[in-house]
Amino acid sequence: MIDHVPVLLIVLPIVAGALPLLAGLVSDRAGWPIAVLAMVGQTGLAGWLGYAVATEGTISYEVGGFAAPFGIELVADGLSAAVAALIAVVALGVLGYVRTAGPREDSFFSLYLLLVAGLTGMTVTGDVFNLYVFLEITGLAAYALVASGRRASAAVAALKYLIVGTVGASLYLLGVGYLLAATGTLNMADLAAKLPEVGYDSTLVLTAFALIVGGLAVKVALFPVHTWQPGAYATAPDSVSALISALVSTVAAYALARILFSVFTVEFLRAVPVAQTALTVVAAVSVVAGSVLAVSQTDVQRMLAYSSVSQFGLVVAGFAVATPAAVVGALVHLVGHAVMKGGLFAATGVVRRRTGATTIRGYDGLSARAPVAAGSFAVLALAMVGVPPAVGFVGKWYIVLGAIRGGAWGLVVVLLASTLLTLAYFARMVERMYFTAPPDPADEEDTAALADGGDPTDAPVSPGMVAVVVAAALVAVALGPTVPIIEGAIDATIQTLLQ
Amino acid sequence: MTDVTSLRPVLAVLASGLAIPLILAARDRPNLREGVTVAAALTKFGLVASLVPGVLAGDTYTFEFGTLATGIELAFRVDALGLLFGLLASLLWIVTSFYSIGYMRGLDEHAQTRYFASFAASLAAAIGVAFAANLLTIFVFYELLTVATYPLVTHDETDEARAAGRKYLTYTFGGGVAVLGGTLLVFWMTGTTAFQPGGIVDAAAQDPVLARAAFALLATGFGVKAALMPVHSWLPDAMVAPTPVSGLLHAVAVVKSGVFGLARLVMHVFGPETVGELGVGLPLAVVATVTLLTASVIALRKDNLKRRLAYSTVSQLSYIVLGLALLGKDALLGGLLHIPAHAFMKLTLFFCAGAIHVETHTDDISDMAGIGRRMPLTMAAFAVASAGMAGIPLLAGFVSKWYIVIGALEGGGVVFAAALLVSGVLNIAYFWPVVYQAYFESPDGHDEKPLLEGPFGGRSLRADGGGTDGHGSTEDGRSGPDDGDEDGGILDPGAGDDRDDYDPDRPEPYHEDHVDDDDHEHFHGGPPEGGWAAVGWRGGESTWFMLGPILAAATGAVLIGVAPYAAVFFRIVEAAVLELPGVVA
Repeated sequence: MIDHVPVLLIVLPIVAGALPLLAGLVSDRAGWPIAVLAMVGQTGLAGWLGYAVATEGTISYEVGGFAAPFGIELVADGLSAAVAALIAVVALGVLGYVRTAGPREDSFFSLYLLLVAGLTGMTVTGDVFNLYVFLEITGLAAYALVASGRRASAAVAALKYLIVGTVGASLYLLGVGYLLAATGTLNMADLAAKLPEVGYDSTLVLTAFALIVGGLAVKVALFPVHTWQPGAYATAPDSVSALISALVSTVAAYALARILFSVFTVEFLRAVPVAQTALTVVAAVSVVAGSVLAVSQTDVQRMLAYSSVSQFGLVVAGFAVATPAAVVGALVHLVGHAVMKGGLFAATGVVRRRTGATTIRGYDGLSARAPVAAGSFAVLALAMVGVPPAVGFVGKWYIVLGAIRGGAWGLVVVLLASTLLTLAYFARMVERMYFTAPPDPADEEDTAALADGGDPTDAPVSPGMVAVVVAAALVAVALGPTVPIIEGAIDATIQTLLQ
Repeated sequence: MTDVTSLRPVLAVLASGLAIPLILAARDRPNLREGVTVAAALTKFGLVASLVPGVLAGDTYTFEFGTLATGIELAFRVDALGLLFGLLASLLWIVTSFYSIGYMRGLDEHAQTRYFASFAASLAAAIGVAFAANLLTIFVFYELLTVATYPLVTHDETDEARAAGRKYLTYTFGGGVAVLGGTLLVFWMTGTTAFQPGGIVDAAAQDPVLARAAFALLATGFGVKAALMPVHSWLPDAMVAPTPVSGLLHAVAVVKSGVFGLARLVMHVFGPETVGELGVGLPLAVVATVTLLTASVIALRKDNLKRRLAYSTVSQLSYIVLGLALLGKDALLGGLLHIPAHAFMKLTLFFCAGAIHVETHTDDISDMAGIGRRMPLTMAAFAVASAGMAGIPLLAGFVSKWYIVIGALEGGGVVFAAALLVSGVLNIAYFWPVVYQAYFESPDGHDEKPLLEGPFGGRSLRADGGGTDGHGSTEDGRSGPDDGDEDGGILDPGAGDDRDDYDPDRPEPYHEDHVDDDDHEHFHGGPPEGGWAAVGWRGGESTWFMLGPILAAATGAVLIGVAPYAAVFFRIVEAAVLELPGVVA
């Protein structure tokens, strides 16, 4: 049984995803319990996988018994196990939020589980074309989830997401095609062995790298191919925003790291320094541009979306530097950011239901109107800025240390400055929530926004929703001091990845 | 020198950390809430004081929490230097807690629960900074100190308070980023960040460029909180906070944490020998000297009493930094002793300013002529403390300054000694008029103040009768109500008196409190119609919640000056300096 855990991780959500639609024949409210059961099972399986990887090392699984490199191989090492666990836990947590807040149609839960299947598939696959398949599954589920809010603006945003996302996935597919043409194989481990024979600096390989990185950059939403993200996050239902902001870009960044280290390997980065420099520059620009754009926003959810652009710049910079400390830091920040950003979006949902506020000005005096949500928002915001000992700081420490050890001094300056840049747009939120008088109730601005964008079936705020927000804030702080344990656990994986 | 593992340093931090939820829970019962604060302060002081005998005997108390990142532990290690700062902060918090009660209730302030909770958090973070065993731990608590003190700076919730809060966050987080950069460089160069007497960076073994860069980053980062120029300007703006905040935090806890960081940098990260070999001590000393002179000169020009005290703080902190930068044994002794000396004196001064504000709503020195009649005990304490600031013997400031001057002369830096003596004169210049006019003048008959009122560039009698450009818009941000006269008075030779532009009855924008919102439309400070009411010397001028702490702090300043050895601070300072290798007793 334990041998089949990797494939069960994907099969469970797919099969469970069909159940709400079937159950819909009988009952309208069967979706949520099915999803919860499936996610509990998923968490258990992910935990089991993590334990197996910790005790036995990297696990491979051949789907259908077809031997690699012709069959599809699933590979789980420390990195994949961590991300798979993150997906399961976050998906389960957001379900606690969805119960009262979210769309409650059975089709929604089917899409939810399909998204989890796609994400987990991306995480455990060891085949680049298989990665594309799961990338598209994830994308399709995400496009539909964004549109599930039934607002006109959500439909437009979903369409934009679909078009831009498909372009990105197509670029990735082109890159995969070039890799196939160059080496004749699609299996990651096999590619890693065959690419040096083709030559790391051959045009074919370089083009493949550029296309793959470009395609994944669209999915990660780095600057300047991030344009789908603010609209999608701001117009989707709040639970969907929380889910996809926490997971979709995260897993895409993981995929980028996987391709970088397991297919092209560190040798490629050493052989073609231009590639490493280019990736570093793109990441650094994303860090700065994302923050600058975030500062200029008036809508809170759009601001958080641009904040993601900046934070993923940090993560990709960590992967691009490719020293052990930087990669650990990037992984820590990946996980930590998922928790923090998901929590922030969940908090904005609670605030919107309690007070109708969606703009930054609407958050004035929130500490009096929604104290728990405001407090959690403040804690999560400070964690993002990098106040120790929360996880945002620890991830940044590792990345910057790795960059210093790698000699990337320009990047070091940008990474250190990112604290101040993040502070620029988060500090004013804290200031407005706690030290500004609430807006005049007669002010039409926010009620007008609600009339345009509010979901007419908005339910009131349940303790479960608030609990999810508070839990995210607590985990963000508690995760920081546990990083050394995580570092010890994935040390073997990092060594293998970076050879 | 034995390391004793003890829970007491942790408990000292937690004493006020755990008080925070209790204070929040007691929000509806003010007396209970204030009782929690006082109890937390007493507990904290008791725990810290219990460490004193052991540390003086040569032990250090340690506690390790576990690895935080890349093999560096989050750990506490209480040595003499850490105990100096910890003891000072916890002792003065007791005094400040009582003062806060009197101040906040006297002004009927809003959001008192948030205030007391933030204060408890700030002190927890300050003690954490004091007891940190390595650069990473000190960075953690340094940032938490910023977060905890921000609600106190923005307490008023006016536009001005929010702007001051934003500036405060920008400067202190910027400083934090510099400290982080420096810490990472030190860790990369040496593989450790733990504090050790004599330092962990060896000049011979490291690339001098990198070592100097690390020193510069750490010095700048800590220097922001230590209000070195040019990164000092957050401090005068932060005076918009309630006076107990200005007193304890921005004269004792926060700014002294910056100075303390610099002390750790010079003594325990680089070590005096390495600093000398790298040649980075001299630039630091120059920056400190420039700061202490410039800030004193700026202070001469400030009419708002708290602003004047703020610039005085900037100046006096640089005494400490100068002592540290001079690297000799006497200079270090003097610099470190000035930490408690200045704290007691400056706290007294701020408390006096706050008491004056509460009792008479007067914030400007020009309104305070004759106020000694109304507040005799307060002004007496003010007189004692300001004499100490100038370095008058038998008061705290004299002993520390003596050592720094001796240290400067021993090291061959006559310029530095001269600067200190000039600064002493400047101190008298900006404190003496306040004291003199309080007792020996009255609202009707007081001398003019050319330093305050005189326009930049000098007065000149012009045909249009108006003042020159500099006048009327001083740094206090006020523009004289008669500015229009500069153009309109062309035909009126009698309008040449510049004093018309200067109106003591104009409303003062600082620290809006809420007492008189109903009563007056334009409330302004200053003496009432018939001059100041005479109050005896038996404490009728204000509540004992405020007078007690004022007199206690003033007494502390006198004690340190009269018997520095008996007042335990000097012994701790000596222990801290003597444990450095190469320093002979």
